[in-house]
Amino acid sequence: MKHTRAYNAGRWLTFAGVLLLCLLVIFPVYIIFSTAFKTPPELTMAEFSLLPKSFSLENFRVAMSKGDWPRYFFNSVLVTVVTVVGSIFFNTLCGYSLARLSFRGRKVILMLFIMGIMIPPQSYIIPQFIILRSVPLMGGNDILGQGGIGLLNSYAGLIIPFLSGSFGVFLSRQFYLTFPKDLDEAARIDGCSKFGIYTRIYMPLSGSLFATLTILKFVATWNDFFYPLIITNSKDMYTVQLGLQIFRGVSGTEWNILMAATLITILPVLVVFACAQKYFIKGIATTGLKA
Amino acid sequence: MTTTSAGTSPGRRRKKKESDAIGYLFMLPNLIIYGIFVFIPTLCTIFYSFTNFDLFNWKFVGLSNYSKIFKDSFFMKAIGNTLLYAAGTIFISMAIGLLLAVLLNAFVPGRKLFRPLFYLPNTISVIAACMAWLYIYNPNTGILNYLLKLFGGTPQSWLLDVKLSLLCIMVMGIWSTLGYNMIVFTSGLQGIPEYLYEAARIDGAGAWVQFTRITMPMLAPTTFFLFVMAVINSFQVFGQVYTMTNGGPMNATTTIVHQIYMNGFEGYKMGYASSQAVFLLVITTLVTLLTFRYGDRGGDADMA
Repeated sequence: MKHTRAYNAGRWLTFAGVLLLCLLVIFPVYIIFSTAFKTPPELTMAEFSLLPKSFSLENFRVAMSKGDWPRYFFNSVLVTVVTVVGSIFFNTLCGYSLARLSFRGRKVILMLFIMGIMIPPQSYIIPQFIILRSVPLMGGNDILGQGGIGLLNSYAGLIIPFLSGSFGVFLSRQFYLTFPKDLDEAARIDGCSKFGIYTRIYMPLSGSLFATLTILKFVATWNDFFYPLIITNSKDMYTVQLGLQIFRGVSGTEWNILMAATLITILPVLVVFACAQKYFIKGIATTGLKA
Repeated sequence: MTTTSAGTSPGRRRKKKESDAIGYLFMLPNLIIYGIFVFIPTLCTIFYSFTNFDLFNWKFVGLSNYSKIFKDSFFMKAIGNTLLYAAGTIFISMAIGLLLAVLLNAFVPGRKLFRPLFYLPNTISVIAACMAWLYIYNPNTGILNYLLKLFGGTPQSWLLDVKLSLLCIMVMGIWSTLGYNMIVFTSGLQGIPEYLYEAARIDGAGAWVQFTRITMPMLAPTTFFLFVMAVINSFQVFGQVYTMTNGGPMNATTTIVHQIYMNGFEGYKMGYASSQAVFLLVITTLVTLLTFRYGDRGGDADMA
């Protein structure tokens, strides 16, 4: 089809519109970048400019010296890594069982997990808090789970509830349903156990599933705010998201310092997103859900 | 018993009847964690909602929590705000998402660059996003007032203004969700067979007619699904409220989850907060049931 002049003009007009909207959407993220390098005088309206005057790292140094940032990062990294690795193993194995093994109650269990995706975590956070507090023999508790804080304010408390995720189970099941059944059949004839079929046949073919789950779980855990806010109560257990709150002083906020810290906390996510955005898109496009 | 009756593939037939009890073992970690940290807590929430549990003592108070929450002016305000937030963000965000999906799918060069950029706000944490928007909205040093002054407008106090604060949070909500809507709409669009458009073009249908007669109806399941997810997500708004306004000014931005948090974890009125959590649960369940009832008509974007 030959394109008319009007068609081409419309095309470029649309392009300009989309570009404008894109700049608007990117703007708040850009603000984090540019403000992170600005000096206090540049923050006043009189001196406002889109670009900082210099790219000094001084703000980052100051930001990291307020509060125990190495500790917050250590906490976030530890919690995220353990949660991601553990949840991928458990969730894909569970998804494989639901997709490929036959046992009584399979439908009911699947429905439970689908329910788990839909129930808002905030609606059961109070008993979750109580249960974590009452874990026997942990955190100063006696055998009946009384007297101490249990798993509150601990790594185990931040990690264990997320080692199973309804979303991960569901995504894995959907993924494994597409595998040809002949694979199982062949492996079974060769004398492979059910677990062997999973580790030797399914796992090596799960590259894109693992990538999708890793990325979604990584971002969800790294970015989570509500749960650590409830579960932790001392600064040495803060994750980076909680750490950012300390810059919001009563006497006014030093925006350049705050943005420097904010930039550092989003950097890992930005890097992962830049490198692996097709897996983000894939996970969301196939299920319509985020982790 | 694994007898095989007449069939083309007896091996497969036999396998179906086998019981893989080992599956229970494989699912054990998930089932335990799900049971302890999701299923039982959900039931407990319902139980607590009939008590005056305060973290140490409890006794049954019947339905009095429920009669109280619907007389609680804070909670009523929170429901109103949550509904306003939902109404104000969902349609605009979905409309922009659909528009972008259609334009980028058919029309615009550079879509490979545009798509991730529009999705970017969705990947950074709510808290980081709040910090950026707090700065933009700041009455003294913020960019919004700077631009307003530049074009001769009157500076506003934005998040500190009773009339504007919820609107400010809604704008941020639209900003952070439109890329997600765009991606899901895009995958819906790519499932529409091209021959429908070819046939329409042969019949002389223009772009607008193609959009309203083919694209829109074919995207109906995707649209419905996105709408339901957006409703569910709107009812969970908390991080931005907690960080940007803490519900203020004068409760203009308090939401349902913010009230649950305030009552449960600031005031330790766990029983009372639980009844509010049950309210959240019931609303979400109703919306979810609607998904399953009406959501799988087209079946390309729904859950199962």
